[in-house]
Amino acid sequence: IMQRPALGWSVPGFLLLVAGLCGAEAPDASLVNEEVKRTVDLSSHLAKITAEILLANQGASPAHSFVVALEPELAGHLAFVGVTVKGEEEEDSALELQETTVRGQSGRFFRAQLPSALAGGARLRVAVETVFTHVLRPFPTRITQAERQLVVFEGSHYLYSPYATRAQSTRVRLASKTVESYTKLGSPSRSEEVIEYGPFRDVAPYSQDAMKIHYENNSPFLTISSLTRTIEVSHWGNIAVEETVDLRHTGATLRGPFSRYDYQRQSDSGVSSIKSFKTILPAAAQDVYYRDEIGNISTSHLLVLEDSVEMEIRPRFPLFGGWKTHYIIGYNLPSYEYLYTLGDQYALKMRLVDHVFDDQVMDSLTLKIILPEGARNIHVDTPYPIDRIPDQLHYTYLDTFGRPVVVATKTNLVEQHIQDMVVHYTFNKILMLQEPLLVVGAFYILFFTVIVYVRLDFSITKDPAAEVRMKVASITEQVLTLVNRRLGLYRHFDEAVNKYKQSRDSGALNSGRKTLEAEHRALTNEIASLQARLKAEGSDLADK
Amino acid sequence: RFNYRSTHHLTTNGFYEFLNWFDERAWYPLGRIVGGTVYPGLMVTAGLIHYVLNLLHITVHIRDVCVFLAPVFSGLTSISTFLLTRELWNQGAGLLAACFIAIVPGYISRSVAGSFDNEGIAIFALQFTYYLWVKSVKTGSVFWTIGCCLSYFYMVSAWGGYVFIINLIPLHVFVLLLMQRYSRRVYIAQTAYSTFYIVGLVLSMQIPFVGFQPIRTSEHMAAAGVFALLQAYAFLQYLKDRLTKQEFQTLFFLGVSLAAGAVFLTVIYLTYTAFIVRWAVSFYSFSWDRYAKIHIPIIASVSEHQPTTWVSFFFDLHILVCTFPAGLWFCIKNINDERVFVALYAISAVYFAGVMVRLMLTLTPVVCMLSAVAFSNVFEHYLGDDLKRESPPAEDSSDEDDKRSAGNLYDKAGKVRKHVSEQEKAEEGLGPNIKSIVTMLMLMLLMMFAVHCTWVTSNAYSSPSVVLASYNHDGTRNILDDFREAYYWLRQNTDEHARVMSWWDYGYQIAGMANRTTLVDNNTWNNSHIALVGKAMSSNESAAYGIMQSLDVDYVLIIFGGVIGYSGDDINKFLWMVRIAEGEHPKDIRESDYFTPQGEFRVDKAGSPTLLNCLMYKMSYYRFGEMQLDFRTPPGFDRTRNAEIGNKDIKFKHLEEAFTSEHWLVRIYKVKKMENREPLDHKPRVTNIFPKQKYLSKKIAKRKRGYIKNKLVLKKGKKLNKKAVQ
Repeated sequence: IMQRPALGWSVPGFLLLVAGLCGAEAPDASLVNEEVKRTVDLSSHLAKITAEILLANQGASPAHSFVVALEPELAGHLAFVGVTVKGEEEEDSALELQETTVRGQSGRFFRAQLPSALAGGARLRVAVETVFTHVLRPFPTRITQAERQLVVFEGSHYLYSPYATRAQSTRVRLASKTVESYTKLGSPSRSEEVIEYGPFRDVAPYSQDAMKIHYENNSPFLTISSLTRTIEVSHWGNIAVEETVDLRHTGATLRGPFSRYDYQRQSDSGVSSIKSFKTILPAAAQDVYYRDEIGNISTSHLLVLEDSVEMEIRPRFPLFGGWKTHYIIGYNLPSYEYLYTLGDQYALKMRLVDHVFDDQVMDSLTLKIILPEGARNIHVDTPYPIDRIPDQLHYTYLDTFGRPVVVATKTNLVEQHIQDMVVHYTFNKILMLQEPLLVVGAFYILFFTVIVYVRLDFSITKDPAAEVRMKVASITEQVLTLVNRRLGLYRHFDEAVNKYKQSRDSGALNSGRKTLEAEHRALTNEIASLQARLKAEGSDLADK
Repeated sequence: RFNYRSTHHLTTNGFYEFLNWFDERAWYPLGRIVGGTVYPGLMVTAGLIHYVLNLLHITVHIRDVCVFLAPVFSGLTSISTFLLTRELWNQGAGLLAACFIAIVPGYISRSVAGSFDNEGIAIFALQFTYYLWVKSVKTGSVFWTIGCCLSYFYMVSAWGGYVFIINLIPLHVFVLLLMQRYSRRVYIAQTAYSTFYIVGLVLSMQIPFVGFQPIRTSEHMAAAGVFALLQAYAFLQYLKDRLTKQEFQTLFFLGVSLAAGAVFLTVIYLTYTAFIVRWAVSFYSFSWDRYAKIHIPIIASVSEHQPTTWVSFFFDLHILVCTFPAGLWFCIKNINDERVFVALYAISAVYFAGVMVRLMLTLTPVVCMLSAVAFSNVFEHYLGDDLKRESPPAEDSSDEDDKRSAGNLYDKAGKVRKHVSEQEKAEEGLGPNIKSIVTMLMLMLLMMFAVHCTWVTSNAYSSPSVVLASYNHDGTRNILDDFREAYYWLRQNTDEHARVMSWWDYGYQIAGMANRTTLVDNNTWNNSHIALVGKAMSSNESAAYGIMQSLDVDYVLIIFGGVIGYSGDDINKFLWMVRIAEGEHPKDIRESDYFTPQGEFRVDKAGSPTLLNCLMYKMSYYRFGEMQLDFRTPPGFDRTRNAEIGNKDIKFKHLEEAFTSEHWLVRIYKVKKMENREPLDHKPRVTNIFPKQKYLSKKIAKRKRGYIKNKLVLKKGKKLNKKAVQ
């Protein structure tokens, strides 16, 4: 929810209403930038502009917020903006930012809420950190393999600010000593890789002065054109992360042939190309894989450090300007480090986006979080706004009604966006038993069917021979058991005789003998009858 | 691989879409009708498994299905070999045969995980068809015959080698007929074969690729002939019962001579009217190897089509190659109907395997079976001494099996066995020492066999063909992943519709891994197209440029092994390209031009100038002359051919190097477009001189007396003619 901007007294009432509706505002005129130290870091393929501002309130009323402005030329390339207050207790606290507009001025504006009101006459030191992507334009845009990459940066000598500035200086850090040309406002001093502008005194609000620097920059102009990060949570103790990365070298494109000979033999050939880079994975990452559509990429090394796993990724081929590649990297994480639970409530705390290479630029990110089947009331807390797309369903092994997938996208991300997000959901623990039961059930049905099938006779024709054979087999079996029993009787009889030998108790012997004889006779008879049946069946069989 | 690609297409687009699939990515600019030119059995099997698994929510990727299809089917092959051998001999032999086929290198070469090939499932279908055939001959039941037909149908859908079945089974019937074994099984074999022939024929014609071949090509004529013969014979038998002997004999001779004449004439007539496509071009028609060698170099150029050497027999079969004649002998000695079959199977398979390395595959199962028979027989003699007295000899048990399963009446007549007494005689006089020694020897042989199989499998057949590995001095492994590096580069960094010219060996790989259009590929159906590519490779640059222009080639991919000493590269295959090109374009390409006057093929300075300036040579050695690999060798030293290259100063006019993989194994060249052609060597004509007197069309000039410069001419319905102003 937008906070109503605090407006100056000069704005008429109706304009206030209009401005309030569209969020436009006029910044507090009583604020002044006393002293500004600006650092423009152009040593990588990003433009990182940091401004240390000593903010002074010259009015009487206390100021609760101030406005950070970005010049319209650069505003479209903004990836990250952050404002911190340089506290006396050496602790920088980040301020909350809200995007806003200023009437009559172009560019982008952010209102930063101060932690405590800045009283009249008081001063405050703040640091504004901005990161711009794709502002270093390769010039010439096409180079041969032997040439070096030159880029042009176009910015402003002054800090673009809604407030008047008393004094400011700009220090530009370049990637190399070779500078083709640079604007010379106020006779800047240059030493090695640094150009110092200023100090400039009493600069009016919103003033701009074009700064243009044309210099050599062979740092890797590597851009992730799209990254799909899939996090699959399993309650059986594993979180699988898979990142599908599309990489592109966005520097000056290669003109003419690529000669492997030159590339191998001459060290300065293809200096702006990218051979390899390092990806830092979480310390608990296991089973790391690195592959693409046509299989495993054999050119990578994994280094397990104490607090992280470092992976040196070498694409299949060196990336020259304009070349692209695509790969998939994946690993497993133990869930106890990232998944918190309280009863049925679960919270997954993970990085929204992870490190791919230093000074990374991510043009677009798609985040997919696959939660276990049956997860409900999903709520995602992100450190910065991100576009949620309607949830999807994902089916994998043994799923019946699908796993909910949280999908979100964001464009233009840099290293500063590596922050934690939290996904809350509820999940009934009983559902964990569903899949094992499913397997058990399937096997049960299978075995049961086999049991039933084996016992039933599905043949259309009757096979009398087989039937008789089976009958004979069963009779034989019966005979066998009877014979065994008769053998047991003999043994009993032996025992009785032995006992008699010891005790000489003829009465017991006689009674025992009688019963045994009776049983023996019965058994013998039974066997005989069975044998007769067997004979009959046997003759049947012979007939058939 | 192509198979994977088409399976993928099948799973994503459905079966009918697959049958109608026109692949414009291959054989540019011709394209290829895939549905009608492919044996769909493999893809349908994989697709079906994938479908069923996904129906059960077991979400396996089609790739995994494809990878594990071959091992699964080799397991099934093992089972069906067991069944077949059990029918032939006994259970023990079956078990041994199953063990053999499980580890024999000749079959493992086709059944390792990831070899997604027709042969893998075809051998299973082959064995199973034979099993069902033997079963149906034994029982005479239509049930088994129909099963056999279905299995045969599957085989037809899977592999061109089905021709082997359709020839072997009639041969079996024919030989049975000759051996007078037919008479006592008249009804069985009659039903079995007739059913098999008719149903099998109809089913096999369902496969689009096979189509009407079964009634048109010569390979299938034997089956038809035997079918006719069988009918005639049965008819004669029928007549024999009705007629007196005298009448019958005259009728018999008359009938036979008439029938023979009629058949002969029909065949000749049909052949001449080209109704039967004689010698249809197919790799698998077995009998025409000589013809192919001489006339179609492309078939001879494939290493798999070379005659088999003794070494490879031993390499693939090891000890089995020695023991299987023994098994064959046992079978012939104790002959019965199904053993006739296996004997024929063995003899024909040996012949075919001798013709082509590739057909070693059909030999392997029968070798396993017969060796198992031999081993189990030997073991029964020498191992089971105490049991001998109680248990009947092997022969008996198997025949009892016969009797029981057949439950038949016909077998009784043939149950007179003479050899029982011989067997008993042979068993006497064997001391325990001899027995144990022989047993030990046999076990040693089997152990050696197992060791050899493991060694061969781990060394020769388990390494993927696209990744080469070398070992350093300290034992660490160096992976040369150049093929995939280059293919992936093509996939990522070229236009999606770019056309890549390469020799046909790499066609499927480029289509599969790089996903780009190829000109020729491993399905070598169009010889002249391949010859055109061969011509482009073997002519000089400007001539090649013309060909490449006409074929719309964007990139040329070649394999060059000179840096790492890889012998299977394009320069070593080059002579085949020349030969194939010469076959189609004898005026432009002559093989003799590429040899030195002494008749050698050399890449160094002494090589022929035609070779040193042809496109393939230039592409292979471009900038290689500057490269010094070793301090001991001069720059530009080719490690594969151990020679310093002859042409070190290579310049291209129409091509430029686009990519070379890390170890130079794959080199890709970009064909420049016409706009970038060489600058003119004379001064270009100046065309923007303002003419002294402006030319005007006479029509206009007539109407106008004069004109004012820079005056805009207004015409009705037309825009202002600004050109006149400028």
